[in-house]
Parts: sequence; structure tokens; C-alpha cells
Amino acid sequence: MSEVKTANVDLSSILKGQENLKFADEEIMLNTKDLKVFYGEKEAVHGITMDIPKNRVTAFIGPSGCGKSTLLRCFNRMNDLVDSCSIGGEIILDNRNIYGKDVDVAELRRRVGMVFQKPNPFPKSIYENVAYGLRIQGVNKKRVLDETVEWALKSAALWDEVKDRLHESALGMSGGQQQRLVIARTIAVKPEVLLLDEPASALDPISTLKIEELIHELKKDFTIIIVTHNMQQAARVSDYTAFMYMGDLIEFGVTDTLFTNPEKKQTEDYITGRFG
Amino acid sequence: MNISISNWTKSGSPWVWLNAGAVAISVIMVASLIGLIGVRGLAHFWPADVIQAKYSERQNSRIIVGEVVQTEQVSASQLIDAGIEVAPGVESLERRLLKNGNRDSEGIDFTWVLSKNLSDIKTPAMLFTAERYEWGNLYGFLRSLKQEQKVLAQYAGYEKNDEYMALWSLLDKSMLRAQDIKAQIHDIEKNQIGKINHELERLRLKERRMELDLNSDADVTAEIEQRRVQLAKEYKTLEDKLVDFYGKINRDSIEVEISNGSVITVPIANLVRIFRANDMSIWDKSLHYIAKVWEFVSEDPREANTEGGIFPAIFGTVMMVILMSIMVTPFGVVAAVYLSEYAKQGFLTRLIRIAVNNLAGVPSIVYGVFGLGFFVYFLGGSIDQLFYPEALPSPTFGTGGLLWASITLALLTVPVVIVATEEGLSRIPSALKEGSLALGATKFETLYKVILPMTSPAMMTGVILAIARAAGEVAPLMLVGVVKLAPTLPLNMNYPYLHLDQKIMHLGFHIYDVGFQSPNVEAARPLVYATAFLLIIVIALLNLSAVAIRNKLREKYKALEV
Repeated sequence: MSEVKTANVDLSSILKGQENLKFADEEIMLNTKDLKVFYGEKEAVHGITMDIPKNRVTAFIGPSGCGKSTLLRCFNRMNDLVDSCSIGGEIILDNRNIYGKDVDVAELRRRVGMVFQKPNPFPKSIYENVAYGLRIQGVNKKRVLDETVEWALKSAALWDEVKDRLHESALGMSGGQQQRLVIARTIAVKPEVLLLDEPASALDPISTLKIEELIHELKKDFTIIIVTHNMQQAARVSDYTAFMYMGDLIEFGVTDTLFTNPEKKQTEDYITGRFG
Repeated sequence: MNISISNWTKSGSPWVWLNAGAVAISVIMVASLIGLIGVRGLAHFWPADVIQAKYSERQNSRIIVGEVVQTEQVSASQLIDAGIEVAPGVESLERRLLKNGNRDSEGIDFTWVLSKNLSDIKTPAMLFTAERYEWGNLYGFLRSLKQEQKVLAQYAGYEKNDEYMALWSLLDKSMLRAQDIKAQIHDIEKNQIGKINHELERLRLKERRMELDLNSDADVTAEIEQRRVQLAKEYKTLEDKLVDFYGKINRDSIEVEISNGSVITVPIANLVRIFRANDMSIWDKSLHYIAKVWEFVSEDPREANTEGGIFPAIFGTVMMVILMSIMVTPFGVVAAVYLSEYAKQGFLTRLIRIAVNNLAGVPSIVYGVFGLGFFVYFLGGSIDQLFYPEALPSPTFGTGGLLWASITLALLTVPVVIVATEEGLSRIPSALKEGSLALGATKFETLYKVILPMTSPAMMTGVILAIARAAGEVAPLMLVGVVKLAPTLPLNMNYPYLHLDQKIMHLGFHIYDVGFQSPNVEAARPLVYATAFLLIIVIALLNLSAVAIRNKLREKYKALEV
């Protein structure tokens, strides 16, 4: 029942727990250079250049159809699955363009994990769901698997709830548990970057709160990028926020500043609810 | 009034009635089909009463004996055409089909008689029915039991009494003895001699093979010769045993008085079973019925398939369908996976899909012709050239057989599996695919570990449809390996146990053969119904087991409801 207690206090300060972020001090994990995304002839993202700081939570906000999810899916090349989609520009991870010719996409996706809007556990047991990524990598030692599964479930704050039914089907869990399971599954392969595509939009408020707490915990180990259409959520969980509109990056900065004192008129209009 | 009718129309009730009516008619048709087949087929095994009556036609009259198989009304004009006098004013008369048996002494074993000509109809308790291995049923009164030429017991009356029953109990004992010997003969002929013949044939082929390879190893030749001598010796002992058994089994015989009053002698060895239907209680009849049904499903056919059982046909059908499923499932699934997951979607894939769908509509006989031309003659012929040259000119795989029949059916049903699997693949939520890919799995790993297990219920649906289609197919099978009588089962105790090259029997073909190729139409008719009923049951069982597997898989891979 810890979520009930924390719900009464000012969340944003507890979740973030740090003030005076300065972009200039940050170590950069990922950056995009003039990134363009086309769906057929239509350009959905118009040349975005931005840096994603390491071990921070970066939120993408903006009205529906602004290209924030499309941009997010570029970071692990999920857009490759869409036949008509093509990419221009570069995304640099570790001094290498992830859209380069000799990049192993499976390897990239191991380093850049992703959690989707709707919980999508596999129709396997809870244990096998978390072990899936490891088994794909050829890890089959029971001891290693056991340890990693336990670690991942603990990290996703799910261990206590499921430790007695690890071998039951994951489909019997609640939506919120399923989403945390998916997060556990993703971090079990120890990625460097975690992409969250509206991870709480299909969940009830209590589950949402748990996910948000989890994000706060996870940023110690991972660089997190989250797409959300819930501005309160962005304000609560993120260190940096990018506001996108019609495929353009309008404003990008420290979350507190962006929400309290936006530079651009469009940003202000959006966060005060005048449009969007 | 007008308003209410238009309201009634608008409410949709007429449509509901129309639809419900259509469903009702379909259900009634299916139920009556199965009902008709079931009743006609199953009634055949019930021991009907045997009547004895005086039959007078013009001035002659004679005693006839038999089972009433069917009763129907015939129009007077039809009878007059047939040269039978009919009293004026009578529109139609009743006639009965009598199974009078005794084909050996009376020539025909079914007769139509007019009911009005029958008088003194009796059902004597001691009138018996005997099923014989040859010549069909025998009806008559037991007169005596003979051992060699010596009469052991006899009785001349027609009434049931202790003396008569004593004769019958002696007969029962003699029957038991004969059946015991019969079983031993069957074992020797079918199993032991069969085994020796099989090995002799293999020795012959081995020798021939060496001859063809121009490889004459004296040691091996000597070994073969030695083995052959040994087998011949074994054969000789078995043969001696057989001669002995045949002498023993032909020891006893009975004398029977048949309907025309003459007495004939019948060897006990020729009797399958003998019973007095008129003297049986309901309980006895039920036991008899169960025994007959069991014989039907578990024994080999006799008398040009009009008597005995149809076990080889059941076995052949099931075996072929299982082999077909084993072949069609992986093939169809792999094709569907490529078509919907790997192939670039476009004009070509659309064309292939249309072709696959149309393939399902090609008449099955066309597949039969293709199977004969391509599989049997071309593939089978080549296999024979390459691997079985020693057996030529008699073909091994170059003639119809279990393998070719199964493959032809697999080809016939592969479109169904492809379509069902593709359907299943398209229903897997893309979120799951993305989830797996996002964890660093390749497309193949995703398919293999997540998508295909979840598609397995859909694959099973395809297999169920394939089974439903294949099990009832007859036309193509007549060309590629189904015969009216196969000497051995395709799965037996002789190496290599599963004989894919062997011809098989099949229920569907059996129906055709018994119904339309049989010399004795009246005797065969009830068997057509019984076999048809059994075919329906076999298909239903095959389907139900596939459905059970599918339900299990569904439970296991219950997907997220989208």
C-alpha cells in the first residue's frame, strides 16, 4: 500500500529528487542528426537534431500525430518493420550511426530496449517471458537465468507479487503487472537505453503510479526516453522534455523550465491546454 | 392490418424465420441421412426371426424358409407386366424380400414373394441359421452329427425337446473344437508361413542384387543357400502340421434338412457360427448382435467382401489419413509462413494466393491422374530403378501404394492448410511480434518461438479440414494404391514393419466395391449402409481427436484478446 502514501505528497519532487539540472553538464548517450522519417512520400519527421542525456529521463510530448512515437521508434529501428517507411539523417550511438550498413539490428535492439503502449507479454510463463531475451542470446544455464529473472523482476518491482507463481501463465496477470513484466523482460537483457512508448496509457491510476516510480528507479542504470501524451506524467517523471509539433522539434529543455517558463509560444499554448 | 404486416416485415422477423428455417432444414437433412444409414446399417447385424411358410403360386405349393429382409407395396400393373395374375380392382399388393440362403442347393439366396401367397407362417424354434465360410447362409433343421462316416447322434423330429437339445450340445462341442483348430491353421498360414515367404523373397532379392552388381561372394551365396535350406525345412514342418490340422478339422460334419425336404451334408469346418434365431431371448440376441458388430469392425472380409468384417479397410483409411496429415502439415505451414512473413507482398504473392485457393477447387480425380503419372510412374519408377533393381520387372514403388495414396491426398489438401495457417498468422497481434523483435530476437527466432506456437491452433484447424476432405476421398485413390482386397496390412510384424509400398484397402472404395461391383447385390446392400456408417464414425473420430488437440493448444497459447 506504499503507493497510497506517496500519492499524498508532492510527487514530482520525490520522483525526481534533484534540482538544478544543466544540460551542459550531461553526458550524451544518443544523438540524432537531421533525422527525417518518411512514410512513402509523406515526411512525418522533419530533420530533428537533438542529444539524449545519459541516465536521465527524457520525455517527448506533443499532440497526437506530431511524430513523437515515430521518432522514438527510430532509436531501435522499429520503423524498419513498416515497409513504406524510410529514414534520412543519422542517429549516433557510441560514435556509430545505427542506420549504418554494417549494423546488426538484433544487436542494436538488445542495447536499445523498448516497452510498448499496450502490455504485450508472450503466452508463456512469467519466468519464460523474462528469460526470453536471454534465451535468444543463447543463455541456457539455469543458474544464470534464475538470477537474472529474479534481478529483473525485483528491478521492475514485481518480484514480491509473482515469486510464488513464476511458472504460471503471464496472461493471468493484471494489466499493470503485465506492463511491469514487460519492463522486466526488457531490462533482463541489460540494454543501455530504454524506450517507453506511452507505457501507462492503458493502465489504471495505481498501476500508472507504480510504473512512474519504477521509471524513477530505473534511470540510475538506464537512459530512458518516454513518449507520453499525459503532460502531468511528463512533468512528474522526466528530467528533460521535448515538445514536438507537426514533425518538428519545437522546444527541448529541462522539464521544470519547459513547463513553468517555456520559451516558445506554441509550447506554452500546448501545456496550458489552449490546443492539442 | 397493412400497417401491422409492414411493421412485421420491418422488424426483421421474416428474415429470422427464413434463416432459422434454412438451419432447421440443414439439420434435419443431416440427421436423417445419418439416421437412415445408421438404422439400415446397424439393423443388418440383428438376428432376425426365420420363418417357415407354405408358398402357393397357381396350383403349385412348396415350403419356403428364410428371413424377411424387406416388405414393400408393388402396383398391380407392374405385377401384371411380370405375368402374375392379379384380381381386378386390386391396386397394389404387398411383397416381401426373403433371404432364403442355401445358395449351394437352391441357386439363389434372395427371393421376392407375394404376401398373399404365403400361408401357415411359423417360426419353429429348432430352425437354425448357419453362417458359412462359403456359399452364404444355410437355413434348416439339424438331423445328425457325424464323425468321419459314423453317426454320433441323430434326431428326426421338429419339436424342441431334450433329445434334440442333446444333439445340439454335441454340435456345440464339435464347433468349439473346429474353431480352435481353425485358429491354429490361420496362425500358421497367415503368420508363420507368411513370415517364411517374406524372408525367402528377401533372400531371393538379395541374391538377385548381387547378381546385378556382378559381385559374387561365395561366402554370402553359401550363407543364403544355407538359410534357404533351413527355411525350406521349417516350411516342411509347418506344412506337415497343416496337413494334420486339415485332416482333423474335416473330421466332423452335420446333416441338415433344408426347406425342400432334402438332406444335405455340411462339414463343420465350413461353419462360422450356428444359431437358432427363433429360440433366442432378447438377451441372447443382444449378445449375438454385439459379437456380429465386433466381427464387422475387427475381422477380414469373406465371400467377395459381402460377409465378414472390414478391419483392413478401417486400418487402411486411418493409416493413410495419419500419413497424409504428417506430410501435409509441415509442408503447408512452411509454405504459408514464407508466403505471409518473408515473401514481398505484391502482384506475385497475390497471384500465388489465388492459385492456391483455386487448387482447392480442382476436382480430385485430376489429382489422382497427376498422382498416377507423376508419383507412381515417374517418381516410383525412378525409385525402383535406383534402389530396387533386383525386384524388377515387378514394381516396388512403381505401382500404387500407401505412400503414393497419402502423398496424393496431401497434395490435394495442402491448399486448405496453407489458407488456414495464413489466416492464423494474420491474427497474431503485431504487438507480440514487435515485443519479441525489440528484445533483440531475429525474425526467425520470433517466428519460431512466439508466432508459430501461437498459430498452432489455426494450423490444427487446417489439418482438421484436410482430414475431413481426405478421409472421404475415393476417386483419386482408385488410381494410386487402393484395392478391393489387400492380402496384408501395411503395418505388420515383418521387417521393415511399415510397408509404404503396399496397396491398401479403404472404406470409401470398399463402399463402392461392395455396393456396385459385388456379384450378390442383395447380400451386399446392408453392408454398404454399415460401411458408410462406419466411414462417418471413423472420420468423426479422426476429426474429434484433431479438435481435442487444437483445444489443448488453444488453451496453452491463449492469445491476448485484441
